[in-house]
Order: sequence, then C-alpha cells, then structure tokens
Amino acid sequence: MGLLDRLSGLLGLKKKEVHVLCLGLDNSGKTTIINKLKPSNLGTEPRALHLLGKHSTTELNPQPQHIYDCAQVQDIVPTIGFSIEKFKSSSLSFTVFDMSGQGRYRNLWEHYYKDGQAIIFVVDSSDKLRMVVAKEELDTLLNHPDIKHRRIPILFFANKMDLRDAVTSVKVSQLLCLENIKDKPWHICASDALKGEGLQEGVDWLQDQIQAVKT
Amino acid sequence: MLKKFDKKDEESGGGSNPLQHLEKSAVLQEARVFNETPINPRKCAHILTKILYLINQGEHLGTTEATEAFFAMTKLFQSNDPTLRRMCYLTIKEMSCIAEDVIIVTSSLTKDMTGKEDNYRGPAVRALCQITDSTMLQAVERYMKQAIVDKVPSVSSSALVSSLHLLKCSFDVVKRWVNEAQEAASSDNIMVQYHALGLLYHVRKNDRLAVSKMISKFTRHGLKSPFAYCMMIRVASKQLEEEDGSRDSPLFDFIESCLRNKHEMVVYEAASAIVNLPGCSAKELAPAVSVLQLFCSSPKAALRYAAVRTLNKVAMKHPSAVTACNLDLENLVTDSNRSIATLAITTLLKTGSESSIDRLMKQISSFMSEISDEFKVVVVQAISALCQKYPRKHAVLMNFLFTMLREEGGFEYKRAIVDCIISIIEENSESKETGLSHLCEFIEDCEFTVLATRILHLLGQEGPKTNNPSKYIRFIYNRVVLEHEEVRAGAVSALAKFGAQNEEMLPSILVLLKRCVMDDDNEVRDRATFYLNVLEQKQKALNAGYILNGLTVSIPGLEKALQQYTLEPSEKPFDLKSVPLATTPMTEQRPESTSTAAVKQPEKVAATRQEIFQEQLAAVPEFQGLGPLFKSSPEPVALTESETEYVIRCTKHTFSDHLVFQFDCTNTLNDQTLENVTVQMEPTEAYEVLSYVPVRSLPYNQPGTCYTLVALPKEDPTAVACTFSCVMKFTVKDCDPNTGEIDEEGYEDEYVLEDLEVTVADHIQKVMKVNFEAAWDEVGDEFEKEETFTLSTIKTLEEAVGNIVKFLGMHPCERSDKVPENKNTHTLLLAGVFRGGHDILVRSRLLLLDTVTMQVTARSSEELPVDIILASVG
Repeated sequence: MGLLDRLSGLLGLKKKEVHVLCLGLDNSGKTTIINKLKPSNLGTEPRALHLLGKHSTTELNPQPQHIYDCAQVQDIVPTIGFSIEKFKSSSLSFTVFDMSGQGRYRNLWEHYYKDGQAIIFVVDSSDKLRMVVAKEELDTLLNHPDIKHRRIPILFFANKMDLRDAVTSVKVSQLLCLENIKDKPWHICASDALKGEGLQEGVDWLQDQIQAVKT
Repeated sequence: MLKKFDKKDEESGGGSNPLQHLEKSAVLQEARVFNETPINPRKCAHILTKILYLINQGEHLGTTEATEAFFAMTKLFQSNDPTLRRMCYLTIKEMSCIAEDVIIVTSSLTKDMTGKEDNYRGPAVRALCQITDSTMLQAVERYMKQAIVDKVPSVSSSALVSSLHLLKCSFDVVKRWVNEAQEAASSDNIMVQYHALGLLYHVRKNDRLAVSKMISKFTRHGLKSPFAYCMMIRVASKQLEEEDGSRDSPLFDFIESCLRNKHEMVVYEAASAIVNLPGCSAKELAPAVSVLQLFCSSPKAALRYAAVRTLNKVAMKHPSAVTACNLDLENLVTDSNRSIATLAITTLLKTGSESSIDRLMKQISSFMSEISDEFKVVVVQAISALCQKYPRKHAVLMNFLFTMLREEGGFEYKRAIVDCIISIIEENSESKETGLSHLCEFIEDCEFTVLATRILHLLGQEGPKTNNPSKYIRFIYNRVVLEHEEVRAGAVSALAKFGAQNEEMLPSILVLLKRCVMDDDNEVRDRATFYLNVLEQKQKALNAGYILNGLTVSIPGLEKALQQYTLEPSEKPFDLKSVPLATTPMTEQRPESTSTAAVKQPEKVAATRQEIFQEQLAAVPEFQGLGPLFKSSPEPVALTESETEYVIRCTKHTFSDHLVFQFDCTNTLNDQTLENVTVQMEPTEAYEVLSYVPVRSLPYNQPGTCYTLVALPKEDPTAVACTFSCVMKFTVKDCDPNTGEIDEEGYEDEYVLEDLEVTVADHIQKVMKVNFEAAWDEVGDEFEKEETFTLSTIKTLEEAVGNIVKFLGMHPCERSDKVPENKNTHTLLLAGVFRGGHDILVRSRLLLLDTVTMQVTARSSEELPVDIILASVG
C-alpha cells in the first residue's frame, strides 16, 4: 500500500491533500455548502435526516411534521462540534473540517487552526443584524497567533444570495472590512448553496491559491 | 546489582509487556503525530493504545494536557482506517471525563452512527452516549430512537445498553424511548432482546405493577433469548421476595416452568432462584434440587460446578433435601476439577451420616494441597459445623485440622483453623489437652501475631487447669526469647497466669519473669514488673483481681474519668469504682469465622450508648449531684402499643442512690401539640418520687424526652423490686395539620400507660470474670449466704439457666450458661457488680428431677447485695 501510494504520488495520479477549515456563524450554510461540494450527495450520502425522511418515518418513527416544513429539501441539522468531509477538485483533494457555528462551540475552532492550509469563511448575507458578530469572529480569527503570521488563503462565501433581503458581496466585504486584510490572499464569492451557484468559482480560486503557495 | 534487577524483570514476565515502562510526558509528546498529514494509521493507533494503557494504569492526566491530546485525536477522524477509528472510539470513551469540550466529536459520531459502515455504528453509539450529558441528549435523541430499532443487532444492542447507562442521569428523556425498546424486545436476536428487556425493566423498576405486567406479558408470549429468560427469572424472584409471598403466585409458577426450558442456562437460573427464595419449603425445593442433580452428571465442568455450589448452599439450610443427591455427589468427589470435588465433599459432610466422615476426610486430605485458600476455608467451616453435630468424631477432625495447620496458608485460612480448634476445645473437654499441645506446636512457627497472642491467651487461661501444666511453660517462654514485642507481652501475661494458679510452679515462674524485666520493650517490661510484684505478695485475692480477671470498667469511661481527675486535682485518691463499667463486657463467644469482627462492633456502640446517656443526663440541672451513671437498661421498654396516639418508651438509668426514668415520647396526632408533658409515677414500694422534668412542647412526630427522678428506699434497702403505675399528664392544644398553627386555648388531659417494672437486674451491671474460681476466692466468704429453692414451673435445665440469667441480669462465667446434654445436674456461675460498686458473685447448683431444684450461693464484699439477691430470688 505504502509503496503504491508513493508511486501514484510520483506519477501525479494521486491528488495532493489539503486541509481546509470551514468557519462562520451558525445558520450561515457551512454544512450545506460542503454537502453540495461533495461528489455524490444525490441521496446516497447520509445526513441523518435524509434516511429518516425518505425511508423510515412511516414505518418506525413518525417525526413531528414541522421539521419537514422548515427544512424543505435539505434536511440539515445544526452541527455539534465538527465533522470531517472530503471532496476533490480538478487537481486537489480537500479535507474539510466543517466546524459548528453555534456560539458556545466557536471557541473550539482554534484547536484546528494550526493544521488548516486554507479557510472558507461563510457569511449569511441576509443576516445584516449579525454581520458585526461575523466581523468580530473574523477579527479574532485573523489575530490568532496560529493564523496571524501565515499567508493562508481565505475564501469568503456571501451565502444565501437568493434571498430577497440579501446584501451584495461588495456590501458584505465592506461590512466585514475585508480591505484591511493585507497579508493574506482573500476572495469573496456570492453564492447560493441550495442551488450550488457560485461555489465552483470559489473552489477554483482556492485551488489556484493553494497551488501557488505550494510551488 | 543492575544485572540482577534485569534478570528479575525478565523472570516476572516483564519482557512480554511492551507498554511497561511508559512515560506519560513522552507519550503525550508522541501524540502530536496526530496533527501531521497524511496520517499514519498504524503509528497513531499504537500511540492511542499507549494513552489508553496509561489511563487504565491509573496515571493522572491533567485537564489541559488531556484536552490537548483529545483535540489532536479528533483529527484522526479524517482517516478511514477501521482499526484507528475504533481506537478513537475507545479513547473518546476513556477521556470523556478527563478532557474538556469532548462534545466536539458529537457530529462526527452521529455521522458514523448513521453511516454505511456497520462496524462503526455500534461503537459510535456507545461513544456518543458516553460524551452526552442530559442537556445535549435532546439533540441526539432521534438518532438514539432510530438506533434502538435498527436492523443491525450490534447497533441496536449498543443503543439499548447505552440508554441503560443514560438512564442514571437523564431518566426522563430515556423514558420516552420505551416504545422503541418494546419493539426491540420482540427482536429475533437474542442479545438485542435481552438488552431491550433490561432497559424496559430498569425504566419501570420503581413501578411494581408495571413490572408484574411486563413479566406476565413476556412469559405469555415466550422469549427467544435464554439471557432474557434468566433476567426475567431474576426480576420475578426479586418481585416474589418483596411480596414475601405466597408460592401460588403466577410469578412462582413462571420460575418453576423455567425448570423445563431447553436452555441449561435458564434451567440453572430457575433452580438457583428457587433455592435462594427465603422460606422455601422442601416440596418447592424438590424439583429444583432434582434438576441440579441432573447437572451433577453433566459433561460440562461449569454446569457441574454451578450445580454442586448451589447444592452446597441448599445443604446449609435444608440438608435433608440434598440427601437425595448424595450418590451423584459421591461421584463428583473424584472429579478432576478440584473446586468441584471440594464443594462436593463439603456438601457431603453436611448431608452425610457420621459413618462416612472418616472416608471423606481421607479423600479430601489427598488433594488439600492443590486447592486454593478460599476453598480451604470452606472445608474448615464444614468441619467446624461437623464438630458441633458429631462431637464424638473430634479426634479424626482434630487430626485433620492439625495437618492443615502445619501446611502453608494465608492468614484467613489459618485463622479459620485456629477458630475451629478453639471452639472444639471449648465444646469438648476431652479434646482439650491434645488441642492445646497442637496449638503449642503451631505457635512455635507462627507468622501471624494476632493468632499467636490469641493462642497464648488461651494457654494462660486453660493451661493451668490441665493435669500437667508445666509442659506448656517451655513453649510460652520460647516466645519470650524468640518473638517480637506484641507476642512477648502476650507470653509474659500467660506466664503470670500459670504462676497465679499453681503454687508448685510459682518459684520457676518468678525466675522467668525476672528475666523478662530486662526486656527491650516498654510494654513487656511493664507487664513483667507488675506481675512479678503481684505474684511475690503470694495473696490469692491479689492474684485473682490483678492477674486472672482483668479490668471490668469501660475503657473510654476510664479515660474520661482520669482526665477529669487530672483537671480537678483533689486530696482523695482516684476511685476506680466511680468509673462506669463496660456495658457489654468481653463475651467469649464461640469463635465462628465471622464472629470476631461482628462481636467487636456492637461492643463499641454499647459503650458509647451509655456515654451518650451520661452526657444527656448531666445536662439536666435536676440531676446534678447524683454521681456517675451506674447502668442504663439495655433496651427501652414500650409503655404503649405501637399503633396508639402517643408512643412512649422508657429507659431506666440507675445511680448509686437514685433512679432516673427517661421517657421518649412521640406524638402521632398531626392535629395536636402537647405541652408540659410529664409522666406521673405511683410506686408500690417505699420508693419516693422526687421530681419531674417535663417536655415543654411536643409537636407532631417530633420526639421529646421527659424524666422522672426517684429516690431508692432507705429504710428497707432490700426492697429493690418495685412496680410503678404510670400516667402521662399534658396540656393539649389543637393545631392545623397543614399550616402547623396552634390554637391559644388548651385543655389538660391524661393518658394511662402500662405499668413499669424495676427488677434486681436494673441494680446489677454484668461483669465478665474470666476466672470465676479466683474471683470467688478473692471476694471471700465473709458475706456468704446460701438458700435452696424449688422451681416448680420449669422442666428443663436450659430453661432454668436462661431464666436465672435473665432475671438477675448477671453475666454467666466460664461458659456455664451452656448446659451439657444428658445431664441432670449443672452449676451456673454468675458475676456482676451491684450498684455502688460491690462485686457480687452467684453460684447456683441446679438439679433436675421432675422439677428443677436450685441451691443459690451468693458472695459479695457487702452484706446488702447478697440479701437483695436472695430476697429477690425467693
């Protein structure tokens, strides 16, 4: 196995692995984005409620109806702690640490800063009220000793663009004062994770950046 | 030197454990590898093993370092290596209480438990439940419900077992999963069914009715799983025990029907349940015993062992029920498994007849050296029981015990043997000489101090009374020369006892004691000097008082009195008679294996009980100047029926010239409060009531205490026995049961109580005289009186002895309370201290013809006690 690994690595068959941290406030759409980026999420990848909703509810376990009402297509439950997901782009293999965005878990992010090679920061662009909270979390992140002096690429997703009261990505970058980030490459993408719009553009940028750093 | 150590390490199997010399800091350092990419699963799994090993060895991990290692470990979830992942689960479970923020892995675990990989799902459920607290449980609740009814048995089982653990902290949440558990209980998988049933039972176990329903439901439909059956049997028998009940209940029928189950496990469980039911009759036992009998000839060693072990238990209570299995047990005596053989033999010893003992003993001695100490103790206990049953066999049994005593063995084992031998010696005077000489040999090479001192004490007590006491001296003096302090001190005391009782040996004893005066140890020197001086006086009374019979005062009492004396120096010398006597003096109970520990405890409690009373009474101003408390009656006497409005119990406290009656009152009416409660007493004799100390207020269900002080009659000091008629007087005030508000208005009322008796026993404190004869001589015959009585209502000696002991409240000495069988004469020796501190001794000779004739001889250092005793007996 070890030998084969190395061989395939040499021949360029095996894609390079990178660790990416996916951060952002709760309900900003981190898990949804990652799910969308995963290759085969057409029903086979089990987020728990998929199973529940599609197969087993009638026979086993009648769930209260309102869960489906609000969850509609995506049956995503809030992440507790973190989960690890993997997906591939054209030349890289991403290992994403999808962190929980709930307030009480945010202080646990820092345990994973050290080995992150890139950061995806997701912002709910319809939630103007909590934009300051997002900014605060971002500042804390950027000032953390494990992040501060590294040239680590940051990709922002201004998510939920489809909603009517969403602000534009330009506005988001102003609200978060992104222009102040001088020592790290960053990029902001407007996205709609439910439909998958804008995600690929962001990932392509990230891939370019990482390869630029590596070479 | 170093080389030698290495070698020792190798010998002790150190080479086989690669994790032996782990350093915590080094391992935690290594754990940083977890942060590297790509992950090396084998290396990481090995490091996790090391961490787990350290934790299990009791190594303490600080919160910070544990948390750091834990978070590093969480990164391993990116690897899909199955071994590594399972090691992660284990680590999560082990570190869940040490590290902080372990909930970080919640989502990762829920992902695993709902994932495709069945191997991960069960362990993930277990790990998840370990890190979930009651607040987080809501979030994972639906995953748990789903897992309980999962098709994969391992997942379902894991979820059920984890739920059982969660039940302890979040009962209310888990209670909601009953429907899922119910569904799992009808699973085809035996493990799932068992676990589901377990969960259902534990959810409902506080609700007796629900449990009964559950049992009847599952017994009707039948169960697939033998484990589930076993559990139902246990639940049912517990239920039966609580009902303490009738054997015709369906629960018992169910257990009985399980005797015919096709699984051996279930059959055994049912049999053992029946056997363990309290108060089981022979008829109910029979089917269970016959099933066990079948097991005795099973080819499976485990079954044979279980059967014979259970039969052994049955034999203790119902030896006759097991007699039917004797033949099968005989076959097991030669079983290749020693444990089975031992149990078979000990069972046979209990059930078999006298004639088979010799053969069985020979059999068992053939492999005694091969069995463990624990079983040896079982054998010794069986022998001890046999000795009581067949006293004539003591020669065979003694010999056997001595061979065992000479062999290697631990303390518990040796103690059991010594206990057993001592009890044989005490029961059976014929065996005394041989027994003592064997014990002498034993202490020549005895590594247990406790046993050595105990045997020395016994030698000192029994040795001088034998035909040839001088032969023990050598053994005892050898101890002085060879052993360490404690044993030496014991030996010196034993020597002194020989000197005190035997004129001929006295000169040589004195020589030996003189040598001991030069001992290195304080205690030994003190004892030797003391005994030497006492013996040189050559006065019997001194010998009896200071050597043969020890102090009879309570040690904590003495300590207190002495402290008091040093605090308030006075002209008078310290009076030992002012010290309260030990309430329960050292009783020489028949040493059964457990008795030594059991006897000691109540003694302490009793000693402190009187202390407590003493303090309570001293706090009451009316009772100042009564002097020290002489005796408190051991058990409070109830003066009311237990179910009445007021519950009154009386404790009698005796002082040198006064009696104090302590009434513990409880008011059981919730709509009344009593005030100013006193108990008025009318004596029939010349007693004089001096004062009452009332309870000011007695609210519902709060006990209160009132006292009545009575002076003892002065004109006629022999009239100690008296009956008091008692009436409780009080003011009743109604009160609201809910708010506790009390009405202002009250009225006077009385309540008639039962009569209270004061007997001779209240004036005499029990005292143990180890050597009655010496004490008898010490007191002398100055005030001796003798009288003869006929006890016309009593038909046996045992009954007579029991009545006399109870009536006089004195302590039977030298085991004279035990009447040997088939004799029509007996001498009962009683010792006590009369109020005021005078020793009183009573020798009563009993003769049984048609009725019992009793000759009572009483001696005391004063005339009064003797008169009182004789007056009261007549």
